[in-house]
Amino acid sequence: MGLEPEPLFQAWSYFRRRKFRQCSDLCTQLLEGPPGEQEPDSEYSVFQAAWSLKTRALTEMVYVDEIDMDQEEIAEMVLDENAIAQVARPGTSLKLPGTSQGGGPSPAVRPVTQSGRPITGFVRPSTQSGRPGTMEQAINTPLTARPITSASGRYIRLGTASMITNPDGPFINLSRLNLAKYAQKPKLAKALFEYIFHHENDVKNALHLAALATEHAQFKDWWWKVQIGKCYYRLGLYREAEKQFKSALKQQDMVDTVLYLAKVYLRLDQPVTALNLFKQGLDRFPGEVTLICGIARIHEEMNNMSSAAEYYKDVLKQDNTHVEAIACIGSNHFYSDQPEIALRFYRRLLQMGVYNCQLFNNLGLCCFYAQQYDMTLSSFERALFLAENEEETADVWYNLGHVAVGIGDLNLAYQCFKLTLVNNNDYAEAYNNLAVLEMRKGHIEQARALLQTASSLAPHMYEPHFNFAVLSEKVGDLQRSYTAAQKSEEAFPGHVDTQQLIKQLKQHFAML
Amino acid sequence: MPEGKAAFLEVLPKQGQLSVEDTASMVLCKPKVLPLKSVSLEKLEALQRAAQEAAARQAEEAPQPQPQA
Repeated sequence: MGLEPEPLFQAWSYFRRRKFRQCSDLCTQLLEGPPGEQEPDSEYSVFQAAWSLKTRALTEMVYVDEIDMDQEEIAEMVLDENAIAQVARPGTSLKLPGTSQGGGPSPAVRPVTQSGRPITGFVRPSTQSGRPGTMEQAINTPLTARPITSASGRYIRLGTASMITNPDGPFINLSRLNLAKYAQKPKLAKALFEYIFHHENDVKNALHLAALATEHAQFKDWWWKVQIGKCYYRLGLYREAEKQFKSALKQQDMVDTVLYLAKVYLRLDQPVTALNLFKQGLDRFPGEVTLICGIARIHEEMNNMSSAAEYYKDVLKQDNTHVEAIACIGSNHFYSDQPEIALRFYRRLLQMGVYNCQLFNNLGLCCFYAQQYDMTLSSFERALFLAENEEETADVWYNLGHVAVGIGDLNLAYQCFKLTLVNNNDYAEAYNNLAVLEMRKGHIEQARALLQTASSLAPHMYEPHFNFAVLSEKVGDLQRSYTAAQKSEEAFPGHVDTQQLIKQLKQHFAML
Repeated sequence: MPEGKAAFLEVLPKQGQLSVEDTASMVLCKPKVLPLKSVSLEKLEALQRAAQEAAARQAEEAPQPQPQA
């Protein structure tokens, strides 16, 4: 065509259009050519510009917001020594979910996760795995729900990902880099830091560079302080991270820094401090969505669903397309016996363009319980079609099983729960429900085996224990019934039927 | 409450026995509303999948090391 754009400009244009692969390739070509002459009025050459652009493109490819990144590994969870109070007072710790006074939903209505929290409407990298109480519990968790170990950690996997994709080895050889030289050039250093931190996942080198750069900036650049704080956080030095973030906040008030600081406090198990921090932040940044959302998340994790819902509503007042807020309010309505309102929230999500398995599954459930039967099965069909892996398929079949139970088609229900187990062999709820169906058919032995599987897979659920207690009591095995009933009471202290059963059994034992 | 003969009167049986057998029935686990995934989680999973696929492809392409005699 004859009208070839200037290659660096072309690369820059690719970058702006988020075509990072093309941008990086073009920069590579530029870097392989002869180093261009330096512009007289600039301290940076074209060569350096291409190099910096390539680092930024490579970073953007794997960039994940660090505020959301929060992966606890098994060792960190179980051997956590950062919490200040080992036996925290009620309402001041995230580790004792049952201690809130706000009245969490009862497990009889809303299923709980392994850590005893009600299931949430939205899942982030940090909420993915519940906190197991003991090492044994952590290891016994089914593989799919297990928190990652450091060997399989995402941090590391992403780091190696960068090397796999590049056949000639890494773009920048960190060990041969003279970090002190780069620290002198703030514009290059910032791009380089992000590359080391996000793309290479080499926190130690990143910290080294940041320390040199902040020294060069005479400790006047808040940005470097935040980066040092991020590095300390990753290295597990939470108190040092706190200092850096606070110092950065003094220089420049930023929402991001507030969020990072709150993350530190949450890791130190100080939710109340984090809440205060968010509220102070809201004074300075009124109506900031991420801050309100942070407050709502803390309330939710403290098992205080009603005030969490209030804050999520505040979020929606500021930003009416906030997916997390809509999803959480929706699930809250579903479990407080208002499926038709939940349906409206989920429909809103559908209108906004969310199109995945989870949403259609929720729509199907809401439709069924709101008695809109025409949409129910087609929603579930769509959910099955959109499922990305076997765990998701299992979830959908499990919920379909409930629909089948609801319309009284027990054969269909039986098949649905069986299909759940075909897709996910660790699905404790499905084992329990199958046991109930077997019991209806009078197959006591099968029911017993299924219940035992269910309770060993998910000791935190009260249903399998309770059912086992009922079953054993029926066949006259009072001792086993009593042990199971006690486990059930441990999992759900307020369950009336369990209490009655225990009372009955105690009477029996007294008569003997 | 309208007064007079038109009002409905409750009927309480005065004789006979009323017996209720209260047996505990087994409980089903509740239906699960699935949580939606955040953007960063989806991106993480996509990256992880891409990395695994790339690793698998490299493992396939790489020639099998010959065992030393």
